[in-house]
Amino acid sequence: MTAATAPRFVRADGPDKVTGSGRYTADLTLTGMLAAKFRYAEIAHARIIRLDVSAARAMPGVFAVLTADDVPDVRFGPFVQDRTLFARDVVRYEGEVVAAVAAVNATVAQQAVDAIVVEYEPLPPITDLEAALAGDSLLVHEGWAAYGAGDPVVRDRNDASFSSITKGDVDAGFAEADHVVSSRYVADGCHAAPIEPRAVLAQWEGNKVTIWTSTQVPFDARAGVCETLEMPASRVRIIVPHLGGGFGGKCGFHYEAHIAALAKAAKRPVRLVFSRREEFFAPDRRREGMIIDVQTGVRSDGTITARKAWIAIDNGAYTTDAGFFSQLAAMHVSGPYKIPNVHIDSHLVYTNLQPSGSVRAPTAPQACWALESHTDEVAKAVGMDPVAFRKLNAVDTGDIGPSGQTYGEIGVQRCIDEATALVDYGQPLPDDEAIGVAIGWWPSFSVPSGAYLKIDGDGSAQIITGAQECGTGAVMTLRQLAADELGMNAEDFELVYQDTSVAPYDMGATGSQTLFNNGRAVVAAAGQVAEQLRSLAAEFLEAAPADIVLADGHAHVAGSPTSTVSIAELAGIAAGGELLIGHGSGAPPAAPALVGSSCVGDLGMAAFVAPQFSCHAVRVRLDRDTGVVRVMEVGTAHDSGTIINEMGALGQVEGGVMMGIGQALTEGAQYDAEGHQRNTGLLEYKLQTCADSPVIRTTFVQIVTPNAGPRGAKGLAEAPNVATAAAISNAIAKLVGQPVRQLPMTAERVWKAMQS
Amino acid sequence: MTFTIATTLEDALAAMAAGARPVAGGSDLVVAARHGKAALPASIVAIDRLGDLARVTGTDDGVRIGALATHATLMLHPLIVDSYPGLADACALVGSPATRNVGTLGGNVMNSSPAMDTGAPLLALGARVELRTVDSTRVVPLAELWTGPGRNVAATDELCTAILVPAPTAAGGTRSSSAYVRLEYRRAMEIAVVGAGASITLAADGTVESLAIALTAVAPTIISVTGLDAFVGKPLDAAALTAVGEIASEQSSPISDLRAGDSYRRHCVGVMARRAAEAAARRAAGEIIGIPVNRAFGIGAAR
Repeated sequence: MTAATAPRFVRADGPDKVTGSGRYTADLTLTGMLAAKFRYAEIAHARIIRLDVSAARAMPGVFAVLTADDVPDVRFGPFVQDRTLFARDVVRYEGEVVAAVAAVNATVAQQAVDAIVVEYEPLPPITDLEAALAGDSLLVHEGWAAYGAGDPVVRDRNDASFSSITKGDVDAGFAEADHVVSSRYVADGCHAAPIEPRAVLAQWEGNKVTIWTSTQVPFDARAGVCETLEMPASRVRIIVPHLGGGFGGKCGFHYEAHIAALAKAAKRPVRLVFSRREEFFAPDRRREGMIIDVQTGVRSDGTITARKAWIAIDNGAYTTDAGFFSQLAAMHVSGPYKIPNVHIDSHLVYTNLQPSGSVRAPTAPQACWALESHTDEVAKAVGMDPVAFRKLNAVDTGDIGPSGQTYGEIGVQRCIDEATALVDYGQPLPDDEAIGVAIGWWPSFSVPSGAYLKIDGDGSAQIITGAQECGTGAVMTLRQLAADELGMNAEDFELVYQDTSVAPYDMGATGSQTLFNNGRAVVAAAGQVAEQLRSLAAEFLEAAPADIVLADGHAHVAGSPTSTVSIAELAGIAAGGELLIGHGSGAPPAAPALVGSSCVGDLGMAAFVAPQFSCHAVRVRLDRDTGVVRVMEVGTAHDSGTIINEMGALGQVEGGVMMGIGQALTEGAQYDAEGHQRNTGLLEYKLQTCADSPVIRTTFVQIVTPNAGPRGAKGLAEAPNVATAAAISNAIAKLVGQPVRQLPMTAERVWKAMQS
Repeated sequence: MTFTIATTLEDALAAMAAGARPVAGGSDLVVAARHGKAALPASIVAIDRLGDLARVTGTDDGVRIGALATHATLMLHPLIVDSYPGLADACALVGSPATRNVGTLGGNVMNSSPAMDTGAPLLALGARVELRTVDSTRVVPLAELWTGPGRNVAATDELCTAILVPAPTAAGGTRSSSAYVRLEYRRAMEIAVVGAGASITLAADGTVESLAIALTAVAPTIISVTGLDAFVGKPLDAAALTAVGEIASEQSSPISDLRAGDSYRRHCVGVMARRAAEAAARRAAGEIIGIPVNRAFGIGAAR
C-alpha cells in the first residue's frame, strides 16, 4: 500500500485544526483569570540556603506565591518517588521549579518571579554518565534509600534502575566465534519538541477543580494531582482541548498540580503558558542520552554466537517513567536477532540534567542506531552484505528471541525484503550516494481501557472514550471501528473525548496503545449496541435476531435485502423505550511466556506483547566537502499486524521517519559544563522541515496477529521512529568508510569522521 | 508605547526625527522582542504602506531596490534574477516562505547581522544604501555601513529608502554574474553558519577581469575577501578555485559556537567561497544555474 492508493480518511478534528476554529489550552480564557510564572532553579545542582518570597508576595497585582512550604509534603514518581512539586533543600537540574507565582498578567508575574530571593550553595554538577557511576561520585539523591520505590528497582548509588538480560553462556559463545567486533556509540539527548508549548488552566468551584491542560495522558495527570494535592479523583476533572502535538513529551504528570494549587491560593482561575525556552528546558521529559558498548561474536559463515553489552542511560535528575528504560534499552541492544548467548547490563544513571522520559519509542532509536550500526560493522568483518547478514540472523516465525520469547507468525524477514525492494537496494549509485538498511522492533502495550457508545433518537451516534488524541489519528480511527460493527459510516459518530469526568479510564496517547486497547473497548461497546439493534430489528422485521445484518445504515434480514429498516428508525423506537447505550473494556491480551533467560530488574519489558517489526532502507547523499547529509529516499516496511486505517498509518510512518531523520542528523540537546542546556530555541535546536522531507514509500506487511488489538492490529505510533537513524547511519558509514559514532550525526561530526 | 502608521515618506521621516524606530515586515524587530533579545522601541512607525519604497527599478547605472522590496519579490524579479542572481540566491534562502514574504531587503541590510544572507552578495556587488532624513539624503557604500553585529553608521533619524546596486561593466564583450551559497544543515528556517557571495566579470577570452567575494557569519560584520586581484587576467580553473577557497579560509576568523566549531567553520568558508566563485563564473560563462545555487548543483548535498 502506498500513499497514492490509500483510501480517503477524514479526521473529525481536521477541519477545526486546519481552519483555526479549534481551541487549544492557551486559547482559553476565564473571567478573572491570572497568569502563572515559575521561578526555576537556573542552576544544575545546589543547596538552597535561603528562599524569600516576601517581596514577591507584597507586589501589587500578585495573588499567590507558592513554594514547597505551601503544598502537601508528598514525594511522587511512578517508579521511584524522588520528586516533589517544588524543590526542597536541594535543586537537581536547572529547570526544577522552586516557586510559582499567579498575578494579574504575565508581566507582573515575571516581575514577582524576579523579586523572589534564592541563595544557593553550589554543588558540583554531575553530568557525565560514567563518572556518575563511579564509586566515588557525589550522589544526585543522597537520601534516596528513604524514598518509596517499586520492588524491581535496584538502588545503587546513582544507578536509578539496573536491568540485565542473561541467556546461555556468553563466554562460551565468544570462544566459538571466528571474529569479535567491539563498538562504542554515544547518543546525545534530544527532545519531543511539540509545536504547541504546554499550557495549563485551572479553576476551582467549591472543593472541586477543573484543569484544562495540554497533556497526552489525562488520567495520569489526574492521578498526579490527586497524589500531590491529596485529593480523591472525584474532585479533579481533567479536560484536554485540542492538543498541539506531544510525541511523548506531554506524557506524564507535569504542572497540573502547581496551577491547581496556585488557583486555590489565589481564589481565581490561573493559566500557565510556556515559552519555547521553557518547553525545551523545564519539563521532566527529554529523550535520554545514552552510551552503548556492544560486542558481538560471529562465525565466518555469518552466524552470531554471542553478544555482550554495557549500556548507560542518562536518567537526569529524577526518575519519571524512565524506570523501565534500562530494560527496554537492553532489549533493543539485543535486537530482533537469534543469539544463543547474551549478557547485557543496562544502567539508568542519575545526573543533574533535565529528567528523561518517554519520548516516542523511548531508548529505541538510539539503541537501534548503535546496534544496527554495529551490525553493519559485524557484517563487514565477515565480508557479508549487511542485508544478507540480517536475513541470516534476524528472528523469524517460531524462533526464540534474545530474552527467551518464542515468536508466533512475525514479518521481520518479509519487512527486510519489502523495504530493500522499495529503494531498489543493490542498484548502481553515484559515488556520493549509498543505501543503508536497519531493522527494528517495538512492543505493543496491553493495558486496560474503556469506552461508551450511544445512539440518540435521531440516529446520530456518539463514542464517549477515555482515549486521548495527540495528532496520530488513533482516536479518529475509533469511529471507523464502531461504524464497521454497526453497519454505519464513520462520519455518523461524534467523538466525546479527553475529559476524565465523562469517560472511562484510558492510559492516554502513550505506548502506541490507543487503537490497540481503546479499539478493543469501542468494538465491545459497539457490539452491545449492535445486539440491541438486532433485537429491535428482529421485532420490527419479524425475524430472529441472529438473522439480522447491520449494513449501510440499515438492518436487514439475511438473504432478504428488501426486508429492511433504517438504524435511525430503530433509534427512534429505542428512544421511547430502552435506550441504545453500550459500554466496553475487554480483557487486555496476556504477556507471552519467556524461556531460558533471566532478567534482573524486570519491569515486564522482556516479553513483547504483539511485537511490531520494521525495516527501513534509506538512500542518502553526502556532500563530501562539508559533511552535510541529505536523505533522498526512504523505503519502510512495517509489520504492525492488521492495518485498520491505511491513510492514518501512512501518516504515522512518514512522521516517524521525519522525526528519525531529525534525531539522526540535526537534533541534539547541547549542554555546557555546568549542566545548562544551550540550544533552547527552534533556531539552534534544528527540527527537520517540510523542505527536507524525502520521498517515503511504505509497505505494510499485514499479518493478522493473535493475542493483539482489534482485528489483529498491533501498535504503530512509535515503531516508525525506531530504525530511521540506524539506516541513515549505515548509509553514511558506507560513504565515509566508518560509522559516525555520535548521535546526532551532524555535518560537522560527519566531516570530522572523514578527516580521521 | 506609541505606534503610528505612516502613509507618506515625509510622515515616516518626521516620526523618526521625533524618535520613532521604523518597522516594515517586523521579522527581526518583533522576533527579537519576543525572544527577549531587545525590547520593542518605545515609539514605532510602521512604514509598510509606503508602496513607493517597494519598487525595483532599472536605472542608467544599475538597479534601485526600494527598501521595502521583500525577499520573495526579489528572488523572482526578472531584473534581479537576470543581472544580480547572487542577490536572488540569497533572498531565496532566507527563512521560510512566510519570512521571505514579510521580510524586506532594507530591513535585512539595516538589521546589520553578520549572518544575514543578502549582505554578502550585495557587498560583493558593490551595493550602496540610500539613507534619508527629513532634510537630507546620503548614499553610503555597504563597505562603510556596518560597524558590528547589529550596528551601522546610520543616525537614528535616518531611514534606509533604497539599496543601489551598480550594473556590471559590459564593455568589450565582458560577461558578469554573481552567486551566493551558504552552508545549511536543513533546507528551510536556516541561518547561515557560513556563507559566501561572489561577483565576477569575465573578459571575452574567459579570463577573470574582476572578482569580488564577501563572507557571511565569520566576523562581526559581513567582510570582503582581499587579495583577489591576483586572479585577474587568468582563467578561473580548478587550481584557481582551490586558491580562492584557501584565501577566503585564511582571512576568516570564525568562532566556535552552537552552530559549528571554528576549525569546521574555517574549512567551510573555503568551500563556500570556492563554490560561490565557481557558480558566478559558470553563470557569467552563460550556464543557467537555477535560483538558489544551493538547490541547483551539488551544494549542501542537493543536486
